[in-house]
Amino acid sequence: MSDITQKKMEQIAQMWNARGKGLITHMALEIEEVSTEGVRVRMPFNPDFCVDAKQSLLHGGILTALLDSVFGLANFVAIEGVSTMATLDLRVDYLRPARSRADVIVQAYCFRKTRHIAFNSGSVWFAGHEDAEIARGTASFALTRGETSLFDAMTKGKTS
Amino acid sequence: MDVQTVNANVSRVPFFRFLNFEVRSLDSLHAEAEMTFDDRHIGNPIMEYYHGGIIASFMEATAAIAVQPDFADVPAKPINLTVDYLRPGVKGPLFARANVTRKGKRMASVSVLSWQTDREKAVAEGLYHFLLV
Repeated sequence: MSDITQKKMEQIAQMWNARGKGLITHMALEIEEVSTEGVRVRMPFNPDFCVDAKQSLLHGGILTALLDSVFGLANFVAIEGVSTMATLDLRVDYLRPARSRADVIVQAYCFRKTRHIAFNSGSVWFAGHEDAEIARGTASFALTRGETSLFDAMTKGKTS
Repeated sequence: MDVQTVNANVSRVPFFRFLNFEVRSLDSLHAEAEMTFDDRHIGNPIMEYYHGGIIASFMEATAAIAVQPDFADVPAKPINLTVDYLRPGVKGPLFARANVTRKGKRMASVSVLSWQTDREKAVAEGLYHFLLV
């Protein structure tokens, strides 16, 4: 399964750390598994992402944001030589109320890549409850390929 | 339902505070809101563009308010969404206008448009469904 190179794994870790700010940093995402078959990421529980006063029900939007982010990572892993990537469209089905204070797990993969477009699919569940999917998403991304790779752009001159 | 009361409801929702937006206008079929840019909204740290998920979340929040501005505990229950990303959301305020296209007894369909400086140049367009029971 894991036919991904050590170099790619190091690049991903560096790129993730180089962000320093923004939503992905705020979500405190942890990569659990990476292979060309797909990626699995964990998002720790965060009360900021809830809708209720008791803070135990996640807003759907954060699950959408999570899927969008992890699709991007899945594409970076699956496709060589991408210079930029932009979400073209995104569809998310909320399958159950996201009521739990458990960590959230996302599994996503790129099921088709062409020169210009990548197609993604992914599922979301609470850690330990893989049988009770809370959301499922599909997206397409517009890719540009060029001299400057996404990795170079993300890590160049970034120290923070 | 006046805008002030709705914004008081909005400020009680932790995730709405995270998004940091205010409802600007409201009637029985529409809601319009403005979100203030923050570093935690960034998706592309080099260009400092909004994260697509933040744009979709803000549009979902505006749609839920258009459907149920008088929500007591939690906002209207979302079923699903589709978003088209048309332009990058750059650093600065982001606006959203939600139109309730159909509101039945059990379900509602809402279309949402989001833009920045020019309403004619949409950043994203979305379709959201809500369960009202």
